[in-house]
Amino acid sequence: MPASATPSGATSADRTIVAFCCRECAYAAADASANARTPLPATVRLVLMPCTGRVSPLHLLSALAEGADGVMVAGCLLGQCHYREGNFNAVDRVAFVQRLLKSVGVEPERCRMFTMSAGEPPKFVAAVREMDRVISGLPPLPRSGDGESRAPRHGAGAASGAAPAEELLSSARGAA
Amino acid sequence: MPLTNRGREILSRVPGGSLQSTVGVGCEIVRHEELCVGCGTCARNCPSGASERGDFFDVNQLLDAPEGSRRGELGAALRRLMQHEPDGPVEVPERVTVYRTIIYDDDKCLGCGTCARGCPADAIEARPPKADAAPRRPAATEGVPA
Repeated sequence: MPASATPSGATSADRTIVAFCCRECAYAAADASANARTPLPATVRLVLMPCTGRVSPLHLLSALAEGADGVMVAGCLLGQCHYREGNFNAVDRVAFVQRLLKSVGVEPERCRMFTMSAGEPPKFVAAVREMDRVISGLPPLPRSGDGESRAPRHGAGAASGAAPAEELLSSARGAA
Repeated sequence: MPLTNRGREILSRVPGGSLQSTVGVGCEIVRHEELCVGCGTCARNCPSGASERGDFFDVNQLLDAPEGSRRGELGAALRRLMQHEPDGPVEVPERVTVYRTIIYDDDKCLGCGTCARGCPADAIEARPPKADAAPRRPAATEGVPA
Protein backbone atom coordinates (compact mmCIF):
# COMPACT_ATOMS: atom_id res chain seq x y z
CA MET A 1 0.00 0.00 0.00
CA PRO A 2 1.66 3.24 -1.07
CA ALA A 3 1.83 5.77 1.74
CA SER A 4 0.74 9.23 0.68
CA ALA A 5 2.96 12.06 1.86
CA THR A 6 1.51 15.07 3.69
CA PRO A 7 2.87 18.64 3.90
CA SER A 8 4.42 17.90 7.32
CA GLY A 9 6.49 15.10 5.81
CA ALA A 10 4.64 12.44 7.77
CA THR A 11 3.16 9.58 5.82
CA SER A 12 -0.25 8.08 6.18
CA ALA A 13 1.44 4.98 7.59
CA ASP A 14 2.14 6.94 10.79
CA ARG A 15 -1.55 7.36 11.42
CA THR A 16 -3.93 5.10 13.26
CA ILE A 17 -7.62 4.72 12.57
CA VAL A 18 -9.75 2.76 15.00
CA ALA A 19 -12.80 1.17 13.40
CA PHE A 20 -15.60 0.06 15.71
CA CYS A 21 -17.37 -2.62 13.70
CA CYS A 22 -20.73 -4.21 14.29
CA ARG A 23 -20.44 -8.00 14.56
CA GLU A 24 -23.48 -8.65 12.41
CA CYS A 25 -22.62 -6.51 9.40
CA ALA A 26 -19.40 -4.59 9.16
CA TYR A 27 -17.20 -7.14 10.88
CA ALA A 28 -18.69 -9.89 8.72
CA ALA A 29 -17.99 -7.71 5.68
CA ALA A 30 -14.42 -7.20 6.92
CA ASP A 31 -14.07 -10.96 7.37
CA ALA A 32 -15.29 -11.59 3.85
CA SER A 33 -12.96 -8.97 2.40
CA ALA A 34 -10.05 -10.57 4.26
CA ASN A 35 -11.04 -13.98 2.89
CA ALA A 36 -10.97 -12.44 -0.56
CA ARG A 37 -7.47 -11.13 0.26
CA THR A 38 -8.41 -7.54 -0.43
CA PRO A 39 -5.67 -5.35 1.08
CA LEU A 40 -6.87 -2.84 3.67
CA PRO A 41 -4.92 0.33 4.53
CA ALA A 42 -2.34 -0.53 7.17
CA THR A 43 -3.58 2.30 9.36
CA VAL A 44 -6.84 0.71 10.39
CA ARG A 45 -7.42 -1.26 13.61
CA LEU A 46 -10.66 -3.16 13.85
CA VAL A 47 -12.57 -3.39 17.12
CA LEU A 48 -15.39 -5.92 17.29
CA MET A 49 -18.61 -4.59 18.82
CA PRO A 50 -21.78 -6.62 19.38
CA CYS A 51 -23.74 -3.77 17.81
CA THR A 52 -22.85 -0.18 17.00
CA GLY A 53 -25.45 0.78 19.62
CA ARG A 54 -22.81 -0.24 22.17
CA VAL A 55 -20.45 2.50 21.02
CA SER A 56 -20.56 5.39 23.45
CA PRO A 57 -19.05 8.87 23.09
CA LEU A 58 -16.51 7.73 25.70
CA HIS A 59 -15.23 4.96 23.37
CA LEU A 60 -14.77 7.40 20.51
CA LEU A 61 -13.13 10.19 22.50
CA SER A 62 -10.85 7.86 24.50
CA ALA A 63 -9.64 6.26 21.27
CA LEU A 64 -8.74 9.71 19.94
CA ALA A 65 -7.17 10.77 23.24
CA GLU A 66 -5.11 7.58 23.52
CA GLY A 67 -3.45 7.77 20.14
CA ALA A 68 -5.87 7.29 17.27
CA ASP A 69 -5.93 9.98 14.58
CA GLY A 70 -9.41 9.02 13.47
CA VAL A 71 -12.23 6.80 14.59
CA MET A 72 -14.89 5.24 12.43
CA VAL A 73 -18.03 3.40 13.36
CA ALA A 74 -19.21 0.81 10.85
CA GLY A 75 -22.64 -0.64 11.31
CA CYS A 76 -25.63 -2.13 9.56
CA LEU A 77 -27.72 -0.33 6.98
CA LEU A 78 -30.21 2.00 8.62
CA GLY A 79 -33.34 0.02 9.40
CA GLN A 80 -31.53 -3.32 9.23
CA CYS A 81 -29.98 -3.37 12.69
CA HIS A 82 -30.13 -6.84 14.24
CA TYR A 83 -31.13 -5.18 17.50
CA ARG A 84 -33.71 -2.99 15.79
CA GLU A 85 -32.35 0.51 16.38
CA GLY A 86 -28.79 0.24 17.65
CA ASN A 87 -27.30 1.93 14.61
CA PHE A 88 -29.68 4.89 14.91
CA ASN A 89 -28.28 5.46 18.40
CA ALA A 90 -24.78 5.23 16.98
CA VAL A 91 -25.55 7.80 14.26
CA ASP A 92 -26.68 10.30 16.88
CA ARG A 93 -23.75 9.61 19.17
CA VAL A 94 -21.27 10.06 16.33
CA ALA A 95 -23.00 13.36 15.45
CA PHE A 96 -22.73 14.41 19.10
CA VAL A 97 -19.01 13.56 19.24
CA GLN A 98 -18.45 15.50 16.00
CA ARG A 99 -20.09 18.56 17.56
CA LEU A 100 -18.04 18.13 20.75
CA LEU A 101 -14.83 17.93 18.70
CA LYS A 102 -15.81 20.93 16.63
CA SER A 103 -16.51 23.03 19.70
CA VAL A 104 -13.01 22.42 21.08
CA GLY A 105 -11.25 23.03 17.78
CA VAL A 106 -10.67 19.49 16.47
CA GLU A 107 -11.67 18.52 12.92
CA PRO A 108 -15.04 16.75 13.09
CA GLU A 109 -14.04 14.55 10.10
CA ARG A 110 -11.90 12.52 12.48
CA CYS A 111 -15.02 10.72 13.64
CA ARG A 112 -17.32 9.20 11.06
CA MET A 113 -20.09 6.66 10.71
CA PHE A 114 -20.48 4.23 7.79
CA THR A 115 -23.21 1.71 7.12
CA MET A 116 -23.06 -1.49 5.07
CA SER A 117 -24.55 -4.95 4.99
CA ALA A 118 -22.68 -8.17 5.66
CA GLY A 119 -22.74 -8.97 1.95
CA GLU A 120 -20.89 -5.84 0.88
CA PRO A 121 -17.16 -6.33 1.53
CA PRO A 122 -16.25 -3.82 -1.23
CA LYS A 123 -18.28 -1.18 0.55
CA PHE A 124 -16.38 -1.86 3.76
CA VAL A 125 -13.04 -1.60 1.97
CA ALA A 126 -14.17 1.60 0.27
CA ALA A 127 -15.22 3.06 3.63
CA VAL A 128 -11.86 2.26 5.21
CA ARG A 129 -9.97 3.69 2.23
CA GLU A 130 -12.10 6.82 2.32
CA MET A 131 -11.38 7.26 6.03
CA ASP A 132 -7.67 6.61 5.43
CA ARG A 133 -7.64 9.23 2.65
CA VAL A 134 -9.32 11.83 4.86
CA ILE A 135 -7.10 11.16 7.87
CA SER A 136 -3.86 11.14 5.88
CA GLY A 137 -4.85 14.55 4.53
CA LEU A 138 -5.09 15.93 8.07
CA PRO A 139 -2.13 16.70 10.32
CA PRO A 140 -1.42 14.27 13.19
CA LEU A 141 -3.84 14.89 16.03
CA PRO A 142 -2.11 17.07 18.63
CA ARG A 143 -2.67 16.07 22.24
CA SER A 144 -1.78 17.95 25.36
CA GLY A 145 0.42 16.27 27.92
CA ASP A 146 2.30 13.83 25.72
CA GLY A 147 4.74 16.11 23.88
CA GLU A 148 7.68 14.05 22.60
CA SER A 149 6.92 11.04 24.76
CA ARG A 150 4.13 9.97 22.48
CA ALA A 151 3.73 6.23 22.57
CA PRO A 152 5.76 4.61 19.80
CA ARG A 153 3.57 3.33 17.06
CA HIS A 154 4.19 1.05 14.17
CA GLY A 155 6.30 3.67 12.37
CA ALA A 156 8.98 3.47 15.05
CA GLY A 157 8.47 -0.26 15.47
CA ALA A 158 9.12 -0.89 11.79
CA ALA A 159 12.35 1.13 11.96
CA SER A 160 13.73 -0.88 14.89
CA GLY A 161 12.54 -4.10 13.31
CA ALA A 162 14.31 -3.30 10.05
CA ALA A 163 17.84 -3.72 11.39
CA PRO A 164 17.66 -7.41 12.34
CA ALA A 165 16.01 -8.15 9.01
CA GLU A 166 18.87 -6.40 7.19
CA GLU A 167 21.40 -8.33 9.25
CA LEU A 168 19.64 -11.55 8.51
CA LEU A 169 19.56 -10.72 4.82
CA SER A 170 23.25 -9.83 4.63
CA SER A 171 24.26 -12.92 6.63
CA ALA A 172 22.19 -15.03 4.27
CA ARG A 173 23.96 -13.42 1.32
CA GLY A 174 27.34 -14.03 2.96
CA ALA A 175 26.53 -17.70 3.42
CA ALA A 176 25.46 -18.10 -0.17
CA MET B 1 -48.48 23.02 40.65
CA PRO B 2 -51.24 24.96 38.86
CA LEU B 3 -54.63 24.93 40.54
CA THR B 4 -57.63 23.19 39.07
CA ASN B 5 -60.74 25.26 38.39
CA ARG B 6 -62.44 23.68 41.38
CA GLY B 7 -59.50 24.54 43.60
CA ARG B 8 -59.52 28.10 42.39
CA GLU B 9 -63.23 28.35 43.15
CA ILE B 10 -62.77 27.03 46.68
CA LEU B 11 -59.87 29.37 47.27
CA SER B 12 -62.02 32.33 46.26
CA ARG B 13 -64.54 31.40 48.97
CA VAL B 14 -61.94 31.20 51.72
CA PRO B 15 -61.65 34.53 53.52
CA GLY B 16 -58.11 35.79 53.07
CA GLY B 17 -57.22 32.64 51.11
CA SER B 18 -54.04 32.77 49.07
CA LEU B 19 -51.56 30.30 47.68
CA GLN B 20 -48.60 31.40 49.73
CA SER B 21 -46.63 28.39 50.81
CA THR B 22 -46.12 27.86 54.51
CA VAL B 23 -42.89 28.92 56.12
CA GLY B 24 -40.34 26.13 55.87
CA VAL B 25 -41.58 24.69 52.58
CA GLY B 26 -40.01 27.07 50.11
CA CYS B 27 -36.48 25.70 50.20
CA GLU B 28 -33.64 27.40 48.46
CA ILE B 29 -32.60 25.09 45.60
CA VAL B 30 -28.89 25.06 44.79
CA ARG B 31 -27.77 23.09 41.73
CA HIS B 32 -24.21 21.81 41.34
CA GLU B 33 -24.00 21.42 37.57
CA GLU B 34 -20.56 19.80 37.65
CA LEU B 35 -21.95 16.83 39.63
CA CYS B 36 -25.02 16.39 37.41
CA VAL B 37 -25.06 13.14 35.42
CA GLY B 38 -27.92 14.23 33.18
CA CYS B 39 -30.32 11.44 34.16
CA GLY B 40 -33.29 13.81 34.15
CA THR B 41 -34.84 12.47 37.36
CA CYS B 42 -35.33 16.02 38.63
CA ALA B 43 -37.15 17.00 35.45
CA ARG B 44 -39.40 13.93 35.72
CA ASN B 45 -40.22 14.50 39.37
CA CYS B 46 -40.65 18.27 39.34
CA PRO B 47 -44.30 19.12 40.10
CA SER B 48 -44.12 22.65 38.71
CA GLY B 49 -42.04 22.12 35.58
CA ALA B 50 -39.20 24.25 36.88
CA SER B 51 -36.55 21.67 35.84
CA GLU B 52 -36.50 20.55 32.23
CA ARG B 53 -34.17 18.59 30.00
CA GLY B 54 -32.64 20.96 27.49
CA ASP B 55 -31.79 20.41 23.83
CA PHE B 56 -28.21 21.51 24.30
CA PHE B 57 -25.20 20.46 26.30
CA ASP B 58 -22.71 22.72 28.01
CA VAL B 59 -19.27 21.23 27.26
CA ASN B 60 -17.81 22.81 30.39
CA GLN B 61 -19.88 20.37 32.43
CA LEU B 62 -17.63 17.58 31.11
CA LEU B 63 -14.45 19.49 31.91
CA ASP B 64 -15.60 20.32 35.45
CA ALA B 65 -16.95 16.85 36.28
CA PRO B 66 -15.24 15.04 39.18
CA GLU B 67 -12.46 12.61 38.33
CA GLY B 68 -13.51 8.98 38.08
CA SER B 69 -17.08 9.70 37.06
CA ARG B 70 -18.28 8.86 33.57
CA ARG B 71 -18.50 12.49 32.57
CA GLY B 72 -15.15 13.08 34.23
CA GLU B 73 -13.52 10.42 32.04
CA LEU B 74 -15.05 11.93 28.94
CA GLY B 75 -13.84 15.34 30.11
CA ALA B 76 -10.30 14.02 30.66
CA ALA B 77 -10.24 12.62 27.11
CA LEU B 78 -11.59 15.89 25.74
CA ARG B 79 -9.04 17.92 27.70
CA ARG B 80 -6.19 16.04 26.01
CA LEU B 81 -7.64 16.78 22.58
CA MET B 82 -8.88 20.32 22.93
CA GLN B 83 -7.18 23.10 21.02
CA HIS B 84 -9.09 25.91 22.70
CA GLU B 85 -11.79 26.46 25.28
CA PRO B 86 -15.22 25.15 24.19
CA ASP B 87 -17.08 27.51 21.86
CA GLY B 88 -20.25 27.18 23.88
CA PRO B 89 -23.12 24.77 24.30
CA VAL B 90 -23.53 22.14 21.58
CA GLU B 91 -26.85 21.02 20.22
CA VAL B 92 -27.64 17.44 21.20
CA PRO B 93 -29.11 14.91 18.72
CA GLU B 94 -32.39 13.32 19.69
CA ARG B 95 -31.11 9.91 20.74
CA VAL B 96 -28.31 11.17 22.95
CA THR B 97 -30.07 11.26 26.29
CA VAL B 98 -27.66 11.74 29.16
CA TYR B 99 -25.40 14.44 27.73
CA ARG B 100 -27.93 17.20 28.18
CA THR B 101 -27.96 20.21 30.42
CA ILE B 102 -30.93 20.54 32.75
CA ILE B 103 -32.66 23.90 32.45
CA TYR B 104 -33.73 25.14 35.86
CA ASP B 105 -36.21 28.01 36.03
CA ASP B 106 -36.08 29.68 39.42
CA ASP B 107 -39.32 31.60 38.82
CA LYS B 108 -41.40 28.46 38.42
CA CYS B 109 -39.79 26.68 41.37
CA LEU B 110 -41.96 26.04 44.41
CA GLY B 111 -39.01 25.09 46.57
CA CYS B 112 -40.52 21.73 47.47
CA GLY B 113 -37.18 19.92 47.28
CA THR B 114 -38.48 16.89 45.35
CA CYS B 115 -35.60 17.21 42.89
CA ALA B 116 -33.03 17.19 45.69
CA ARG B 117 -34.56 14.09 47.30
CA GLY B 118 -34.62 12.18 44.02
CA CYS B 119 -31.22 13.21 42.67
CA PRO B 120 -29.00 10.10 42.47
CA ALA B 121 -25.83 12.16 42.10
CA ASP B 122 -26.47 14.54 45.02
CA ALA B 123 -26.11 17.40 42.59
CA ILE B 124 -29.05 19.35 44.01
CA GLU B 125 -29.18 20.83 47.46
CA ALA B 126 -32.37 22.04 49.13
CA ARG B 127 -31.31 24.53 51.76
CA PRO B 128 -33.71 25.64 54.46
CA PRO B 129 -35.27 29.00 53.60
CA LYS B 130 -33.71 32.04 55.15
CA ALA B 131 -35.84 33.50 57.92
CA ASP B 132 -36.04 36.92 56.31
CA ALA B 133 -36.76 35.65 52.80
CA ALA B 134 -40.22 36.23 51.42
CA PRO B 135 -42.18 32.99 51.13
CA ARG B 136 -42.14 31.52 47.66
CA ARG B 137 -45.30 32.06 45.76
CA PRO B 138 -46.10 30.02 42.68
CA ALA B 139 -46.89 31.87 39.48
CA ALA B 140 -50.48 30.53 39.54
CA THR B 141 -51.47 32.81 42.44
CA GLU B 142 -51.62 35.80 40.14
CA GLY B 143 -55.18 36.74 39.39
CA VAL B 144 -56.56 34.76 42.31
CA PRO B 145 -58.50 37.02 44.67
CA ALA B 146 -56.88 37.21 48.05
